Amino acid sequence: MDLGSVICVILLAPLVAAGLIWILARERAALAMTLSLGAAGTILASSLWLLLGNWDGSAFEISTEWLVLGSFRVDAGFLLNDLSALMLFVVAFVGFWIHLFSVGYMNHDKARGRFFGGLSIFMFSMLGIVLANNLFMMFIFWELVGFSSYMLIGHYLTDEAADASKKAFIVNRVGDFGFLIGIIITYWTFGTVNLVELQKLAQASPEAVTTLMGLLLFCGVLGKSAQMPLHVWLPDAMAGPTPISALIHAATMVAAGVYFLGRSFFLFTEDALHLVAWVGVVTAACAAIWAFGQRDIKKILAYSTLSQLGYMVAAFGLGSLYGMHHGDGNEALYYGIGASMFHLTTHAFFKALLFLGSGSVIHACHHEQDIFKMGGLLKKMPITGFTFLLGVIAIAGIPFISAGFFSKDLILYVAKQTSLPAFYILTATALLTALYMGRLFVTAFLGKPNSEHAGHAKESPWTIYVPLVVLAAFSVGGGYMVMYPESIREVISHWVPHPGAADHKLMIIISAVVSLLGLGLARVFYGAGSKSDRLEDTVPVIYGISRSKFFFDEVYGYYVKKVQDRLADVAGFLDALFISGLMVRGSAAVAGLLGIAARRAHTGSVSTYVWWFFFGLLLFGAYAGGFLDGIIR
Amino acid sequence: MIIGLEHYLFVAVLLFAIGFFGVLLRKNTLIVFMCLELMLSASILALIAFSRYHSTPGHPLMEGNLFVLFIIAIAACEVAVGLAIIVALWRRNQTVELSEINELKN
Repeated sequence: MDLGSVICVILLAPLVAAGLIWILARERAALAMTLSLGAAGTILASSLWLLLGNWDGSAFEISTEWLVLGSFRVDAGFLLNDLSALMLFVVAFVGFWIHLFSVGYMNHDKARGRFFGGLSIFMFSMLGIVLANNLFMMFIFWELVGFSSYMLIGHYLTDEAADASKKAFIVNRVGDFGFLIGIIITYWTFGTVNLVELQKLAQASPEAVTTLMGLLLFCGVLGKSAQMPLHVWLPDAMAGPTPISALIHAATMVAAGVYFLGRSFFLFTEDALHLVAWVGVVTAACAAIWAFGQRDIKKILAYSTLSQLGYMVAAFGLGSLYGMHHGDGNEALYYGIGASMFHLTTHAFFKALLFLGSGSVIHACHHEQDIFKMGGLLKKMPITGFTFLLGVIAIAGIPFISAGFFSKDLILYVAKQTSLPAFYILTATALLTALYMGRLFVTAFLGKPNSEHAGHAKESPWTIYVPLVVLAAFSVGGGYMVMYPESIREVISHWVPHPGAADHKLMIIISAVVSLLGLGLARVFYGAGSKSDRLEDTVPVIYGISRSKFFFDEVYGYYVKKVQDRLADVAGFLDALFISGLMVRGSAAVAGLLGIAARRAHTGSVSTYVWWFFFGLLLFGAYAGGFLDGIIR
Repeated sequence: MIIGLEHYLFVAVLLFAIGFFGVLLRKNTLIVFMCLELMLSASILALIAFSRYHSTPGHPLMEGNLFVLFIIAIAACEVAVGLAIIVALWRRNQTVELSEINELKN
């Protein structure tokens, strides 16, 4: 088997599975589950076959003409290089374990056919983004993941889920509008959308790359990776089933924006990178503050996802800037990619772990999601509890025993080298991260159960805890290169800046202090298994600020209600008056009047018709005789 | 009095007008039908007259006569079809009054 056909198998396996589920298994849950899990297994096996030695690590591109419109041409093709190989590994690996988890988690659901079909469609679309070799194809799959996200958020068919799925879809459209314009400008400028050719052209003539181009492309990232100000959809998306939150809204799809940045890093100017970095920093900090106002276990994790995505985007901006100004050698160009992708990878492991852990908890507590009604779960569910603890450690970044430490450290390092304010904000955010994750853990897992459901919680079945254990292993060891196949280590080991010994020590100390202080403070302040939020009890003002989420939803709601709806009313009125009223109904009215007149002429008496005939004949004769020349020419 | 072309044409126009107003004003289908035939005859008369008066000695014009034969043949067909329709109308409605045969309108 050659590389091209293996890649085709990887991409098409989930599509075939989704198609079969649609045709055969909409009502047959077991078959749907088997097909979907089989596709995920095929993806993982083929990816590992590729990455464990059958691919030599050099960029591999295969492409075929798909659409030609005059001089405009779109190819369908795949590009497998260091970056996409790493992303392929993350998607295939995390995806498979989440599929397995879903089998256990969704076992009482009535619409499993639809769920697993959607899951497979998602895998297909996501792998399309990962492997696409040009921007247009990427955009198509970009929209497809948006669709599968919409479909899966709305899985439970409640009003809340319906609203959330619509919100996710519409907010993403806003970002994608800019994204599409960015792609068109790129095509306009360079005459191609192929990533390899673009890189050559952009690096040969850097002056052709404009800031506007990068910022428009970044709009797509704002939507998909839920950066400020388009972050509002992600917390609401938690209305979907927990495996979906883990796979799509934490580990893979929302990270696609960061991946896209890495894929098209050469289209960003220095000004654009500054803005990208600051958007990331602000998102990271704000989302961490908002997490304190949440009581729902999934919402807390959603804000933490936002915050970590902010870290990744900031890492891309700051890392690229660092590489531009301080790096030496060819690899300095890729510092932004290395730093952001490293965090993306480790985040995929520990955030999937945390979400799946919360899923296991929700499953055991009969869909109780309020952490203040849990408590004492570590004793009831030792495997879930312990793996969750490892996830908390990973995201807090305790040195050496967590993956998050290595990647977050790197981000803090490039921030320190590039922009001190960003460094301070990100460090403070790291402290907040440890604090709110500690709050979640001590409240839900320590102490005594606070509700009947939590008291009766039991450890989940093996399909649920096996993925937890595997992901926990990667959350702990994901910072060490031995955990990864050799062919994908390039990005996360060579494309990252290596701090000097003094800086290295400083970063370790900062990390240790921040993470341990945060977790310790959480234990002391919030207390094990407490029934109510101590922050709310003691300083309600701060809690209120955090709870308010800085009024983004309200502002958007106000905007939509007062501005957009009014605009729509005006447009609707104009439409009713001119297009629908004057043009459509008007022409219909003219035809109707003519019809009435013509009907009048039909008297039903033959002699009238003969008179008409006679006048017609007279007219014809007059025309033939030239009497009408003055009137008709 | 020399009878010239205009006399023939006068008779033809008169015949045509009688036929035409008959078609317009009479209500009985049979009469209307006869009036139609009258109009055809008027045109035949005109054609023959033109043919006769435009011939030069030694070179008779035969086109008018030829048309007359065609028109008579077609009129015969028309009579066959028309009378059949009138008979059918009578059988169906027990009337051949035009004012009462307006089913398509109502």
